[in-house]
Amino acid sequence: MDLFSFLVSGIGVYVALVVFTLGMAWRVWQWMRTPKSPVRLGLFPKPKSGLGRFGKLLKDTFIAPQSVEQAAPLMAAAYAFHLAALGAFVGHLRLVHEFTPLVSILGVEGMNTFAAWSGGIAGVVMLLAILFWIGRRTSGAYKNLSTPEDFLLLGLLLGVVLLGDHLRFVGGLHAATYEAWFASLVALRPAFPPALAASATRWALDWHMLFVDAFLIYFPFSKLTHAIGAFTGNLVRSSD
Amino acid sequence: MEKQELETIIGTLGKRMNRQLKEYLDVCVRCAICKDACHQYVATQDMTYLPAHRAELVRAVYRKYFTKAGQFMPAVYEARDPDEHLLDDLYRSTYACTGCRRCMYYCPFSIDTQWVISAAKAMLIAAGRGNEMLGQLADAALFKGDNIEMFRDNLVEGFREIETQVRDITKNPEAEIPVDRQGADMLYVALAGSHSILPAAIIFNEAKASWTLSMFEAANYGFFFGDPDKARLIAKRFMDEAKRLGVKEVVITECGHAYRVAELFYEAWAKERMPFKVVHILEVIDRYVKEGRIKVDPRGIREKVTYHDPCQIGRNGGIYEQPRDIVKAIAPDFVDMTPNREKQWCCGGGGGIVAMEEFNEVRLKSGDMKVEQIKATGASVLACPCENCRLQIGELNEVHDLGLRVVPVMDLVVEAMGFGHAAGTTGDERDAAEAVV
Repeated sequence: MDLFSFLVSGIGVYVALVVFTLGMAWRVWQWMRTPKSPVRLGLFPKPKSGLGRFGKLLKDTFIAPQSVEQAAPLMAAAYAFHLAALGAFVGHLRLVHEFTPLVSILGVEGMNTFAAWSGGIAGVVMLLAILFWIGRRTSGAYKNLSTPEDFLLLGLLLGVVLLGDHLRFVGGLHAATYEAWFASLVALRPAFPPALAASATRWALDWHMLFVDAFLIYFPFSKLTHAIGAFTGNLVRSSD
Repeated sequence: MEKQELETIIGTLGKRMNRQLKEYLDVCVRCAICKDACHQYVATQDMTYLPAHRAELVRAVYRKYFTKAGQFMPAVYEARDPDEHLLDDLYRSTYACTGCRRCMYYCPFSIDTQWVISAAKAMLIAAGRGNEMLGQLADAALFKGDNIEMFRDNLVEGFREIETQVRDITKNPEAEIPVDRQGADMLYVALAGSHSILPAAIIFNEAKASWTLSMFEAANYGFFFGDPDKARLIAKRFMDEAKRLGVKEVVITECGHAYRVAELFYEAWAKERMPFKVVHILEVIDRYVKEGRIKVDPRGIREKVTYHDPCQIGRNGGIYEQPRDIVKAIAPDFVDMTPNREKQWCCGGGGGIVAMEEFNEVRLKSGDMKVEQIKATGASVLACPCENCRLQIGELNEVHDLGLRVVPVMDLVVEAMGFGHAAGTTGDERDAAEAVV
């Protein structure tokens, strides 16, 4: 590994994971240690039972029907992005271990084809959603309301996704190659396997990782804490 | 800005900080879904009134003084001092907000912009920039409450005159307006002026209810002003009265914010569990109608009637069906507005805005959606159980020539009880009745 690769695809990964984990824990701890609002802030109607409230919390957080009603295109982009991001995250777990049950069903070639298609679709969907959001922030009220933080995050996401898509569509390396690199990270001895070190697309992996590292490091200090805040906010909405 | 003033403002925001406020300030993604939920923004297209922008002004200060990230990278977060320019913007966006919380309803994270606004008002008050009119009205209410003995004789005399009207209307010589009655079941808290006492008194007497009238009024300008201490003290007077009299229920008149303050806020402010329930007058009347304790003509109101859900008793108070059930019981030609209940458009008259002349233009403009909603129903009567909403819609009625009769629900009930128009339901009679108290 050269210095840049070592910094972003080696040590940077550890730093990002530590900052992300501790940062999110610190953020949640900050919320938890602040006294709750003394007054009830719920909206009506709200379910009477605890189970009903829990169901409503899930519905408001994962479906947000009232937001869909108000801004269908935006929420469609949000759904698409979050589902695609989840799919991409699950797909990246192949770096930890091959999805053996799926391979036994689909066969090695079938699995590779499935991964290529699902990963490709997820990458394109995320890219389109990000472009939609960037476009949305360039005019009218959205532009006036936007802050540099919004563009910084969209820029980081765009970098992550564009380079991820490059690795998917142009890179031509098999998952097993990345798996070896990932195994070296787990073993705390980060190194690129020869195929990856010699690859013409190694630069794309390094830049992909640079954006991923920066994104994870920035996450706890940004509005992306809505990943947890959405649950707590929607819980208050239905609380007694 | 002087250091001391800055410290006062920041200190105030710090004191108002709680878990929900902190989360709301941290997690907003500025998606602006709230923009199409806010009647003021939709009507004016002015950023000042966009809910996320209102909160963003507080967020700028929060970022600068309460987050390390904002201190480290102020430009990224647009972290700012509460300078003159920011406070000017904050004043306009904050005191114009009617607190309807329609933005919260549509927000995917349920961010309560009104809760952020309450912190903004505290900052403005700390900076000596609280709305003067609301502050004076709150102080006047406190003065009246602290010196109730000074006003007692006049008030009681006014109540006796209304009692005479109740007897004339009901033809019941024993009808009464009890005051200070120990052991009554209910303490009725009305508004200043007889219009909220007369119809309720008729209904209570016909239902043979055990009730007593509060010496204090329900309206709470401390709440609108943004000072929870003043708001608590204003409500405390009738809450203490209820405890002293040993009532089972405090019944709040047709006033949105007064109900929300008494039912949802007061116990938390007072840090005390009240030994009685707080109910809205329409919950009581609905009970009477359903139990047959008052007789109403099911065809008592012949005109086409629609109903306006005041934000503070609907979306923010949970009373949706009782008023509708009452109106449907007396008006066969009832039609709901679209949208309604939790999706109802704010009329534009809440949050004390009707008392602040400087916001008249945006207030009237922001009623556009309500006007369209009302027109679409084709109704000629609007049942409206909130004083501020009635004032606003009454003015919209004149400006847009809607030809609408805007009336409290309990006035319609009295009409349907066969006494004819109750005093207080028509303009002239109301003016005369107002003069009594």
